[in-house]
Amino acid sequence: MEQAAPDPERLLQPAPLEPLSHPDAGLESMVGEETKGARDEGPGDGTMTENNFSLKKIEISVSEAEKRTGRNAMNMQETYTAYLIETRSVEHSDGQSVLTDSLWRRYSEFELLRNYLLVYYPHIVVPPLPEKRAEFVWHKLSADNMDPDFVERRRIGLENFLLRVASHPILCRDKIFYLFLTQEGNWKETVNETGFQLKADSRLKALNATFRVKNPDKRFIELKHYSDELQSVISHLLRVRARVADRLYGVYKVHGNYGRVFSEWSAIEKEMGDGLQSAGHHMDVYASSIDDILEDEEHYADQLKEYLFYAEALRAVCRKHELTQYDLETAAQDLAAKKQQCEELATGTVRTFSLKGMTTKLFGQETPEQREARIKMLEEQIKEGEQQLKSKNLEGREFVKNAWADIERFKEQKNHDLKEALISYAVMQISMCKKGIQVWTNAKECFSKM
Amino acid sequence: MSGGPPKALPSTGPQSLRDMPHPLAGSSSEEAVGGDSTPSPDLLTARSFGDKDLILPNGGTPAGTASPASSSSLLNRLQLDDDMDGETRDLFVTVDDPKKHVCTMETYITYRITTKSTRVEFDLPEYSVRRRYQDFDWLRNKLEESQPTHLIPPLPEKFVVKGVVDRFSEEFVETRRKALDKFLKRITDHPVLSFNEHFNVFLTAKDLNAHKKQGMALLTRVGESVKHVAGGYKLRNRPLEFAAIGEYLDTFALKLGTIDRIAQRIIKEEIEYLVELREYGPVYSTWSALEAELAEPLEGVSACIGNCSTALEELTDDMTEDFLPVLREYILYSDSMKSVLKKRDQVQAEYEAKLEAVALRKEERPKVPADVEKCQDRMECFNADLKADMERWQNNKRQDFRQLLMGMADKNIQYYEKCLMAWESIIPLLQEKQEAK
Repeated sequence: MEQAAPDPERLLQPAPLEPLSHPDAGLESMVGEETKGARDEGPGDGTMTENNFSLKKIEISVSEAEKRTGRNAMNMQETYTAYLIETRSVEHSDGQSVLTDSLWRRYSEFELLRNYLLVYYPHIVVPPLPEKRAEFVWHKLSADNMDPDFVERRRIGLENFLLRVASHPILCRDKIFYLFLTQEGNWKETVNETGFQLKADSRLKALNATFRVKNPDKRFIELKHYSDELQSVISHLLRVRARVADRLYGVYKVHGNYGRVFSEWSAIEKEMGDGLQSAGHHMDVYASSIDDILEDEEHYADQLKEYLFYAEALRAVCRKHELTQYDLETAAQDLAAKKQQCEELATGTVRTFSLKGMTTKLFGQETPEQREARIKMLEEQIKEGEQQLKSKNLEGREFVKNAWADIERFKEQKNHDLKEALISYAVMQISMCKKGIQVWTNAKECFSKM
Repeated sequence: MSGGPPKALPSTGPQSLRDMPHPLAGSSSEEAVGGDSTPSPDLLTARSFGDKDLILPNGGTPAGTASPASSSSLLNRLQLDDDMDGETRDLFVTVDDPKKHVCTMETYITYRITTKSTRVEFDLPEYSVRRRYQDFDWLRNKLEESQPTHLIPPLPEKFVVKGVVDRFSEEFVETRRKALDKFLKRITDHPVLSFNEHFNVFLTAKDLNAHKKQGMALLTRVGESVKHVAGGYKLRNRPLEFAAIGEYLDTFALKLGTIDRIAQRIIKEEIEYLVELREYGPVYSTWSALEAELAEPLEGVSACIGNCSTALEELTDDMTEDFLPVLREYILYSDSMKSVLKKRDQVQAEYEAKLEAVALRKEERPKVPADVEKCQDRMECFNADLKADMERWQNNKRQDFRQLLMGMADKNIQYYEKCLMAWESIIPLLQEKQEAK
């Protein structure tokens, strides 16, 4: 790719899109200004990104996984899995794909990438990574991270993550993402140089905002509620599904015992022998068929898991909104307080309690010069504050607008994906039923020849 | 031979028309005998086991490769049976219509026994009486006493642990009824037992209790003598065939026991699977309440899983009610056969001992005394009866298990078919594009 991606820093600044409302807007008008129907077609940074690098037609795949040993930060030996990422560009003319890049990454680097995206695109529902540790396992499934089945499912999950990012209209243009795919060495340093960790909102700050915010956008309140419920219901679903898989496994496997006993029994029978023996064989087939069936079902579980983790991404966007909104509310509050103070000083009336006022009463009036100085300072601060409020107001509205646009996009994606998942689940069940009918019909045939 | 049993020894030929559908079974799909009785797909939806049976090949002729379903081969086999046996069916017995009786002292169930016969032993062509379990028990004991050289079919278990099983539940009563029906049909098919006078009384007497009190001593002479066989003789040479039967029964009972345990385990696992399914389905419903466009598909999946759960419940119920009891019955059957074999051994042992005693007496012309001859008689009768019954039993066993296992396969097929239907019907719902709300 020849064209350089825009500096991710620039992407953070909102483009001036609409005129502000009047400067000393009260608290009320800052909130809930929805821009219904004004959904942007392209990325939020529309005007600046005309000659972005764009992924013309790129195919990304995580094609292999390999066990490696190395030394970790504490110089201790560790074993980890590395994944091969291959990027192919598809030429328009003949549809042929050419391998342009291939490099190895480990899970922790994916995490780093995602954390970076979370900080720099707080208004985007950032695609989740596959789970770090195997959860919702049923007894046969291994909880070991090194287990080949787990590694395989993780490989698919990581590929899915990259594809999601690459197909997102905004995220796909990110330079760090591009480098992740193309620059093997030094990538970690490059990411860290962006200083994104410092820009991240502290957990404490976020928590504080969540509790103290007075007027968040109603839609975000609903969304947060929805994502909580979604997380809870999908967790429940995955837990029960794992138990169901366990039980189903038991049912099928016990039938294998029929195979053995029919065989033993057939040895003492004359006419019945053949029928019993061959029926027993079908029972063995039945018993062993469950392994493949349940392996397929794991894919369904993985699809559900992705949306379980997406719920967390949704919540992250809501949290950011709460932070922004709280910031705005605090700034407005401060401004209002200063204005009031200024007014009181100017008119000499004391309406609210202030330490200055108290001390003045106790220790005597300040000189008119002192008062003038203070008023002047306050007026400066007020002017500054109003500017800040303006931009925070704008920021807040921008955020709401852009975030909601991405949320709508996400909703459609979710509905589509989950429907597809349900369809493929139904297809799996149908296939399982057909296999069952086949086996038992064969067994019945054998019994009829007894 | 000094005086054999009142009737001619039964032919060693196997079943002829034993499994013809009961002409009075009353089902609309009942075909005339020898007609197109292809096996119905739901073999076990018939009320009792014997009802819709195919006319199955007897043990003598090879089953061949012709499938039982082809009606012409059916006809061929029928004719073969006819030739071999020369008898036509002249006795039909059915057990049905269970009713609960509540008396001051106790509550119990009676069953209606319907008998139709052209035999001379029956005064009327048709009888209908009511009997309860203890009457069957009485009958079986009498048969064992009076026909000790024959295999008497088993009864379903007498005692039921109160509190664990509900003696008056529909399922229990129905399972028992089927077993009692089977019991009587097996006796009906037996060329010797079916002529037993106790059996006749059971089928015909208005007041069975009066007869019970009379204590009819209707033992056959052989029966009488066998009854008094002293135990404690050691057997020298068990004839090979009886040794083989004994070994066979041992292994057979073992295998059946294993199958019983496996079947129970499967049912247990299926029930546990069902419990989880019953929690699984509703979670989709809960989810559906959170969603807009996905609401219908999710609700559909929930309903689908519910249907599968119901189908599974039906499967486990059927297996519990139809499969396990028949299996257990056969285990009881082989137990009672073992005891008959033991008795036979005793009879032989006594004979051998007496024979030896005579030989030891060192007479110039050892004349076999009368009582040794009687022993020999006894033994030979016993052997003949037992052999005949064993062959008959082997045949019946084959047919019974064929039917039982095919039934098990059928039930599983039906279960999967129900589930298949549920999932297939939901696909269009899932694929449907939602109209913009």
